[in-house]
Amino acid sequence: MNTKHIIGVFDNEDNLLKAIKHLKQKRANIKDVYGPATNHDLIKAFTRESLLPYLSVLIAIGTIIGAFGFLYYTSVIDYPLRYGGKPLFSFPPMVVIIFLLTILVTGGLTVMAFLGRNQLFPGKEPVMIDPRASDDRFYLVMDQNFNPEEIKKWIADSGAEEIIEKEIDA
Amino acid sequence: MMENTYTISNKLKALAGVLILIGAVAIVHGFMSDPARTWNNILLNNMYYISISMGALLFFSLQYITNSGWSALFQRIPLALGAWLPVGALFMLLLYFGLPDIYKWAQPGITETDKLIAHKQPFLNVPFYMIRIVLYFAMWLGLFVVLRRYALREDSTTDLTPFSKLRYYSKVFIFVAAFFFSLAAMDWIMTIDAHWYSTLFGFRAAVTSIYYAVAVIILIIFWLRRLGFFGEFNDAHRHDFARYLFRFSIVWGYLWFMQFLIIWYANIPELTAYYYPRFIGEWRVLFYSEPLINFAIPFIVMMSDDVGKNKIVMKTISILLIFGLWISLFLQIMPGSTGLLRFGFIEAGSWLGFTGLFLLLVFSALGKAPLTPKNHPQLHESIHHHI
Repeated sequence: MNTKHIIGVFDNEDNLLKAIKHLKQKRANIKDVYGPATNHDLIKAFTRESLLPYLSVLIAIGTIIGAFGFLYYTSVIDYPLRYGGKPLFSFPPMVVIIFLLTILVTGGLTVMAFLGRNQLFPGKEPVMIDPRASDDRFYLVMDQNFNPEEIKKWIADSGAEEIIEKEIDA
Repeated sequence: MMENTYTISNKLKALAGVLILIGAVAIVHGFMSDPARTWNNILLNNMYYISISMGALLFFSLQYITNSGWSALFQRIPLALGAWLPVGALFMLLLYFGLPDIYKWAQPGITETDKLIAHKQPFLNVPFYMIRIVLYFAMWLGLFVVLRRYALREDSTTDLTPFSKLRYYSKVFIFVAAFFFSLAAMDWIMTIDAHWYSTLFGFRAAVTSIYYAVAVIILIIFWLRRLGFFGEFNDAHRHDFARYLFRFSIVWGYLWFMQFLIIWYANIPELTAYYYPRFIGEWRVLFYSEPLINFAIPFIVMMSDDVGKNKIVMKTISILLIFGLWISLFLQIMPGSTGLLRFGFIEAGSWLGFTGLFLLLVFSALGKAPLTPKNHPQLHESIHHHI
């Protein structure tokens, strides 16, 4: 679905930060920010609450339980082989395997969830607002708002280099 | 800049005095009723505060080595924590009179009955043990004095020489301290179980000492803030200290488990004998609560960044770690020396006494110099630190 978006082009992050703060104060809907570099102030000013960490924790807990079940099944139920005089069910050696499996599975699944959520996959056509987006300009993409004229004025007041309107894939 | 000089209050002096008095009573009472137990408690508490001191100085030099600007404001606190070292040296030398009560290898005639100890005799004998103590403390105290002198000289000059000197001596100190504190921990604690050894033991003691030192530094900063100092202490500093605790909790858990798992797997009798009473016997409650307090709780609670840098959470975890270090050392020392799981007036009293002395020394040392450096080149980076 392609919709028209107001896009502010900035040549430095200070003006961009000013614009973001101003727009946030006015409760305008910002869609995204693109740029060649970032700083912590930008991240702080423009952070959307992500559910990814919570998903990671859930996957990790699931993996811990799954890996424990797997190890218990293999070493106690399915193939009860006693070695080194240790009890069939002994927890210490399981810890390492659970630990490693948790890192592997959680890392992999979190990356996949991230890519899936952002609809990224190998060979995807890159969505470029402007060729300069991969060079040295910052782009502030606005979402749909009721007052496009006012928004344009606010962005221009903050020191935007130019304001463009473009249809991009939403 | 705001008020910069701390002076130790009479109230704190009185508190420290009362604590020292309790400690003195506990130790005198201990020597009359159970000298062996008392010597072990003196070793435990002394090692406790030497760990914190050395950890703090390692933290101090780590900041210079890694060129960390954010901590420049607080560098006087780890420096003040080093004030325990001379007293620690004194108590370590004092142990000379109680060596047979702590170490099996120091008991007269043990070499005739115990082949393994006889084999280790060239290293584990009383004169060499005392010489090693003198050597360790000579190196640490010498470097500590140098570090402190250059850190304080920075206040009176805008020259960069003290700073570059500090960087140089930090490198020297971190190697000396990491190597010889590892060796010292093996010497003082590991040889209690003379048949047992763990090549990881010293490294673990040196690295985890930074963990506990950071907890103490955090508590001191919060306490000084309540008195009106460190107005510049902001969100980002708190975040960095919280990350220190969090990451060291992982290191702690990793090293603890590494030492345990390898011995558990290897099934070598001399090594397993160390873990057997702790893992199976009456020490098992303490044995399980040790990783719970030192690793699991800090790790789980501080995993979320926002929860981790909460003031109350940071204080609680730091206080928890103060007990964690005690439990950790108690489990390393007591099963091998007295072999009795007892907690009474001697344990609590001597810990309180040492704590009183520690507070007195550290806070008088804090009062001897301005709380924040004046001309540290990274001071402004630290004041305006933000992430």
